[in-house]
Amino acid sequence: MKINAKDVASGLLLILIAAVGLWLNGDHSLGSARRMGPGYMPMLVFWFQVVLGGIVLVMAFFNGPDPLEKWTGLDASMLVIAVIVGTLVGFAAPHLSSFFDNSYGSLGLGMLAGFLVVSYARGWRLLGFICAAMCAFCLLLEKGGLMLALAATIGIASMAEPEHRARPLGVLGITVFLLALCWWIFIKQLDIRVAVWPLQY
Amino acid sequence: MDILGNLAHGFSVALSFSNLLFALIGALIGTAIGVLPGIGPVATISLLLPITFGQPATTAIIMLAGIYYGAQYGGSTTAILLNLPGEISSVVTTLEGYKMARNGRAGAALATSALSSFFAGTVATVVVAGSGPLLTSVALSFGPADYFSLMLLGLIISAVLAQGSVIKSIGMVVFGVALGLVGTDVQTGQQRFTFGIPELSDGISFVALAMGMFGIAEIVLNLEKPEARSVLKTEVGSLWLTREEFRRATPSTLRGTLVGTVLGILPGGGAALSSFGSYMMERKVSKHRNLFGTGAIEGVAGPEAANNAAAQTSFIPLLTLGIPANAVMALMVGALIIQGIQPGPRMVEAQPDLFWGLIASMWIGNVMLLVINLPMIGMWVKLLQVPYKFLYPAILVFCCIGAYSVNNNVFDVYSTVLFAVFGYMCNKLKLEPAPMLIGFVLGPMMEEHLRRAMLLSRGDVMVFLERPISASMLAIGAIALIAMLLPNLRKGKEAALSG
Repeated sequence: MKINAKDVASGLLLILIAAVGLWLNGDHSLGSARRMGPGYMPMLVFWFQVVLGGIVLVMAFFNGPDPLEKWTGLDASMLVIAVIVGTLVGFAAPHLSSFFDNSYGSLGLGMLAGFLVVSYARGWRLLGFICAAMCAFCLLLEKGGLMLALAATIGIASMAEPEHRARPLGVLGITVFLLALCWWIFIKQLDIRVAVWPLQY
Repeated sequence: MDILGNLAHGFSVALSFSNLLFALIGALIGTAIGVLPGIGPVATISLLLPITFGQPATTAIIMLAGIYYGAQYGGSTTAILLNLPGEISSVVTTLEGYKMARNGRAGAALATSALSSFFAGTVATVVVAGSGPLLTSVALSFGPADYFSLMLLGLIISAVLAQGSVIKSIGMVVFGVALGLVGTDVQTGQQRFTFGIPELSDGISFVALAMGMFGIAEIVLNLEKPEARSVLKTEVGSLWLTREEFRRATPSTLRGTLVGTVLGILPGGGAALSSFGSYMMERKVSKHRNLFGTGAIEGVAGPEAANNAAAQTSFIPLLTLGIPANAVMALMVGALIIQGIQPGPRMVEAQPDLFWGLIASMWIGNVMLLVINLPMIGMWVKLLQVPYKFLYPAILVFCCIGAYSVNNNVFDVYSTVLFAVFGYMCNKLKLEPAPMLIGFVLGPMMEEHLRRAMLLSRGDVMVFLERPISASMLAIGAIALIAMLLPNLRKGKEAALSG
């Protein structure tokens, strides 16, 4: 068998997305070809995507083999646990602390928890820490200010690189340098409207 | 001559202090990211897009354009000195350029690359200036059906020329179009696919999509690869060309410029395709083709001229028709739309400062790049010694602040995270993100033209075949698709894009 696993997954992904799209598109009136309603173009596009996904899927049985990267048991189980933990934290967030009571705070806290949990598995470590770092930025920015948010972002992001984990002082140096640089570019030069220090607003 | 008057106006715009400054900043950043492997122009431009919002539109586009063609200059430096292409477009430069460096002619190779790029850039600037207004007048006679077919053609060709499977690329284009439809329907005001999230009523944030799929996903992918950076062992040596080298490089530069100019205009074309096209051509027609593989100067001069010419002429479809030819141009469309300018044939008339100022600044930028690259080569080589582990935190924080500052809303940063995960997944499945970006930009425009065309034709689909312009666009698209399904051509493309 020469199955192209990447193409099987791609085809299924395209079909899945299109199916969800078509289902959501049920809310929109189609109109006629002459007077197209809001649902007409999405309908055309998603059906086309289903067809293409189908072709990719069928072709996958002839142009392989191209296996997916190996998942360890830990990779798979941590992904499931992360989704569960993330969802729970997301729902619990409003009751935890009023600090996260800002825009999309519960979403962010849930995502942060999920990404941090998934980072426990080696296969997800890089993606998990980088994404967690960005979520931390969002969570801290409005009430914690730019400096705190950036420090947290750099701190979490540096966990992705083994050499940084071994040298916390180096990370501190990078943090100080980047904080100064960002302050100079974004606050001094570009003057973006954002709180700089904790509890400024 | 009208063009001369317009160009003079363009130079007066481009020579203003702030425009000069930002052209220089663009050229410097472009060279830097060109030198550094792992950061490409698409990621950089999406990263810097938000910073340009505060600037006037002309200044913003001048800087972003500078990054794109600056990257073509910088990419060749590492290709020649370290056998490491900084950009995809300089992959072929490693073939002859690195050999030249091994033969002790590194300086000559660098000089050839910079000079032929400069020559090609100058010619391409003239081509853009001359053909822009001409094409614009043609474009004004386009009806909605013609526009729809033209965009369809652009999408097909961008998918056909993308790396990897054509069908998967078309799938990504289609998904991109679908993402472009999220938000308020222009004609009825109905919210589509917004899940009741107010931030989505204006559509998915362009910056979040580009930054996530290119910027952040690339960080993760770069960190996955073990860092392979050899230390410079070769001496740069004299930058002067011998008379013999100069004589050999000249015809190749001319041919490369021609190839690049033509391939750059094609939708889906661009720097990478044309540098390879030029290399293939040189290997067939050059007088010294027997020397190829041993450090032939023709193999540096041609492709370097071609990629720079193409980087500039790929602005033609954008400036005249409002259609992006590649992912970088899709970012430019995004930048223009956020600035409140609808790219299209009316832009030359309505925004003469932008159009002519950009053209003039391209030439000025090329002069700057010549200075930045040749005498300051040592500085760029030093930049290579900055390890990626120090670079990625900086890229990351710039992405965060950038995504936030577009609307001063953290929702955009969360969207960036989601697109980063999606982009990472696409990479693992060999789904190309670039066609998706182009589809995303063109999606809303296509819907509008499709609706208008069908309204005018009273629901008759045949309108797309009855209008000659539209019919010929569709025919070209069909031919391109069929051609790519032929096994021989497909192999040629794979060879071309993998270098």
